[in-house]
This record gives sequence, C-alpha cells and structure tokens, in this order.
Amino acid sequence: MNRFLPAIVPSLLAAAIFAVCLGDPYFMEIFIHTALMGTISVAWNLMAGFTGLISLGHSLFFGIGAYVVAYGHIGFGLPPLVTWPLAVVLAAVMALAIGLLCFRYGLRGYFFAIATLAFSEVAFLLVSATPWLGRSDGMMMPSEDETLLYLQFLEKWPYGLMVLGFLAITLFVGQHLVSSRTGFYWRALRDNEGAAEALGVPAMRYKLIAFVVSAVLTSVGGAFFASTFAFVDPRSTLGVDLSIQLLVFSIIGGLGLLWGPLLGAALLIPLGELLRTAMGVGFNGVNIVVYAVLLMTLALLLPQGLGGWLKTRFPAMPRLGGKPIRQGDAVQ
Amino acid sequence: MTDTILEVTDLGKFFGGLRALSGVCFTVWRGEIFGIIGPNGAGKTTLFNCLSGALKPSTGRIGLDGRRIDGLHPHDICRLGLARTFQIVRPFQGMTVLGNVMVAAYGRHPATADAEHHAHEALRSIGMAHLAHLDAERLSVAEMRRLEIARAIATEPRLLLLDEMLAGLTATEAAALCDQIVALNGRGITIVMVEHSVPVISRMCARSIVLNFGTLLAEGTTQDVLRDPRVQEAYLGSAA
Repeated sequence: MNRFLPAIVPSLLAAAIFAVCLGDPYFMEIFIHTALMGTISVAWNLMAGFTGLISLGHSLFFGIGAYVVAYGHIGFGLPPLVTWPLAVVLAAVMALAIGLLCFRYGLRGYFFAIATLAFSEVAFLLVSATPWLGRSDGMMMPSEDETLLYLQFLEKWPYGLMVLGFLAITLFVGQHLVSSRTGFYWRALRDNEGAAEALGVPAMRYKLIAFVVSAVLTSVGGAFFASTFAFVDPRSTLGVDLSIQLLVFSIIGGLGLLWGPLLGAALLIPLGELLRTAMGVGFNGVNIVVYAVLLMTLALLLPQGLGGWLKTRFPAMPRLGGKPIRQGDAVQ
Repeated sequence: MTDTILEVTDLGKFFGGLRALSGVCFTVWRGEIFGIIGPNGAGKTTLFNCLSGALKPSTGRIGLDGRRIDGLHPHDICRLGLARTFQIVRPFQGMTVLGNVMVAAYGRHPATADAEHHAHEALRSIGMAHLAHLDAERLSVAEMRRLEIARAIATEPRLLLLDEMLAGLTATEAAALCDQIVALNGRGITIVMVEHSVPVISRMCARSIVLNFGTLLAEGTTQDVLRDPRVQEAYLGSAA
C-alpha cells in the first residue's frame, strides 16, 4: 500500500470539489476559504495532534505571512516571488525563537498554549498601533499592471488552483513526516516525553522541528491570504479567532489524524455559511447560536472527531495517516 | 582484572534539604547481572534516574565504559549504550506495540524499513512478535513490562537498567520474565536490576548493593550482602 495514500485521497477529493465549484464564483470563494483554513489546520494539527503541543498563537505566523506580503508590496513594490520566501524565513526564525524559549523552560500543555497566545496577542497589539502597517484598519494592496507577477487575477479560480496546490503539498509533506522517524518521535513525545527521551529521542530538537514546520506552512497560508484578498488587517490575520478556528476544525475533524482537520473545515465552514445566508437576515445572531449548538453536539457525539469516527466505522482504512486521539489526550 | 562497564563515584542527589542519595559508590562489571536492593524510599529509583540522565546528580560522577556521562541528556546517554525501563510502565498509548519499539530502534536505524526490521527482532527476542500490531494500550500489565524491555533492548544497549520489573506480576509471569532477563544477559547485555524481592535478587545476581535512606549500606556478593547485620536490620528491623 502506498504510504502517501492519506495525502493522495484527500487531495483528489479536494480537486474534485474544486472542479465542481469552477462554475460558480460564490462556491469558489467558499472553496478557497475552506481549503485555506483546512490546510493551515492540518499544519496546526502536526504540532497539536501529533506532537502534543497546543499552540493558541498560530495567528502570529499567519499574520507574519500576510503582513510581509502586504507591506513588501505596498512599501517596496516587491512581488510575491520575493515576499513569500521572506515570510517563510521570518516565520521559521520566529517559531525557532519562541520554541527555544518555551521548551528551554519546559513549558507544556496549557502553559505552552498560554505562552503562544501571549506572543500572538503582542503582535496583534503592536500591528494595531503601528501607523505604517495601517493600524487596526489594515492595508489595501494596489493593483499592478503585471497581474501574473503580483498574482492579481480578475477571476477566483486561479486562487482556488493555488490553494489546492498548497493543500496537496501540505498533505504530502505532512504524510512524509508523520510516516517517518520524525512522526514516530513526535507521537512518542506527545504520549510520554520522559520515556521518549530515555529511548533516545532528542526532545528539544523534535519539538522545534514540529513548531517550525507548522509555523512555516501557516505563514504560507497567510501569504496566500494577502495575495488573494489584496487586503490585510490585524483582526482577520493576527486575531485569536483565527487560532481558535484551527483548534476547532482539528478537534471536530480529528486530532492526530493527518487529514482530520480538512474534514472539520469542510464541514464547519460551508455549514456556517449556509446558516448565515439562511438565517442571518432578520434573525441576526441566531445563526451563531445554532452553529454553537451544532458544534457542541458534534464534540459530544464524536469525541475522536469526524475523522476518528469514520475510522472506527470503517476499519477497512487501517492506520491511514495516524491514529485519532481523544479530546484532551494531546495535553499532558 | 575484571572489565568495568559502569563506575559510580560519590553519587549524590539532593532535593532541597532532602538527601535522596549521598555518597553512593559502586562498580558494575561487564557481562554480569547486578542487583540493587533496598526498602521503599531507599533511593533506588532516584539512582536509576541519575544514571539514565532523567535527573542531574548533585555530586559525584558516573562513568560508562570509562566515559563520563553524568549531566548528559537522556537521549545522549541512551546513544552511548545505556538503556532503562520504568517501574511505572510508560507505553506510548497512541501507537501499536511495534510502533512503540520502532521509536527506540530509530535511534540507530534512521530508515523506517530498518527500524521496523530491528523492532521486530527485539519483539521476537522477548516473545512478543505475535502482539506487534496490537494497540499498546490494550496489553496486560505483564505484557507492558515486556514491552518496556523490548523497547529498551531495541536501543541496542550494552548496559540495561531494569526498575522493579517483577512488581505486580504473578509467580508464573515473574518466572518467565526472569528467564528472559537471563537470556538477554546471555546475549552479552550487562544488566543492573532494582528489585524489591530478596529471593529474586539472590537467585539472579551474583553481586549486589543495598541502599537504605539514600546511602550505600553494603556492596559485594549477594550472599555476603544479605548476611550483613546492617542489611538484616534495615529489612527486618532491629528486634529481629
């Protein structure tokens, strides 16, 4: 059996959905949003579900991606070709620095979560108060004549194609990592760090690898966001809401399953959209209540997430992309 | 002269004012099964934690094959050929039995196919090959103990520290495990075992030390050590 099956199957499914959405710009927009959030949730889950490191500050890396691209464009006229790699390097350095600091002092579980949240909130406040970054109003990126160079397209589908590629690459990189030594070390550290170290697992190094890989992928998502919407603001790229969404999609989809978070995003984002259009007018806020109730019901009924439930329901998919873990098991 | 594999000199570990270990010295020879005895709270597990790097000793030095290892990271000590098991079993619950052992085998075999091969070997040598694909959390206590050993030997150690492997096992399970420990020793792995049960130590270990209140009470052949009046007093109380 091909070890990349857990990457191939979801990628093909996403491609099929992309093809279906080609005819309708509104559906394409939902596809782009879903695929983007789903993909960075996959990246978040590499850390949380596989390594047991719950980050509540992943918006920091998304924001780094978005703001490097936006400011690079507005301030210096730099195209994505230059700013995307720059964003990745900056996110990697930032993750390395925060990781070294947190792991050096043995922060784990809830303490690590709070520390990451603090870093992202500092960035949020700094950007919200910085005039040349547009303060809390955000920044609009100007239109350019070289549309291809600046990834500025009139239609939505090229962005859909890009995010599809991002999704596939993330799944393949993720599957390569979780099915090799790195993934075994990650899960060992998640389940019992002391035992893992005694068996020769360099804890510090492999926690840093998880953090950096996850942060880099998330920053690519942020860079994509800026290039797609030509607009960045602190609330949508650096806010805690974004970080919480990654957690929600991962838990509902299946922590510790490579493709689980995609499933969570694919269920919840269109659902939220549906509720908003069906009930948003006239009954403002009711849709959010319904959404919240549905979320709680899902969390209660499927403690291993949608993906975990599918795996127990259909044991014919043995050990594809990891083993689902129960809510709370990831936190030591 | 006998070949030394482990040399512990003046080892101490203090937690604040508490002297969990102090002034402990002993030497383990290559190829033997060495026993560490002592009542509850004598410092046996603290000693293991210092040897394996989980705790940094407060004083003294530890030499493995003539190389100083105190203060090194646990994973480095493991790489140098010292492996340990835990008294309270610590399986990786989110993995299969094979996966658990592969984590250990990866240290010397970075490629997944090699690691899997060597993990299978380790499981076979401890009689667990048929359980390879079971989820680790579904093992019985006795099987989890053997998994601890399988993982430890998959790191390919020269020296193996076993922490109360027999606690909580039935007599049959314990006897089977003892045979397997002797077999591992026969394959050239030096073994240091902490055990609560004096009969087991006297049967398996030619030489032993006795710890009491964090200090070394006696060192020598197990027979002599057990006959030592101070040891008898520590175990049976002064009235005996």
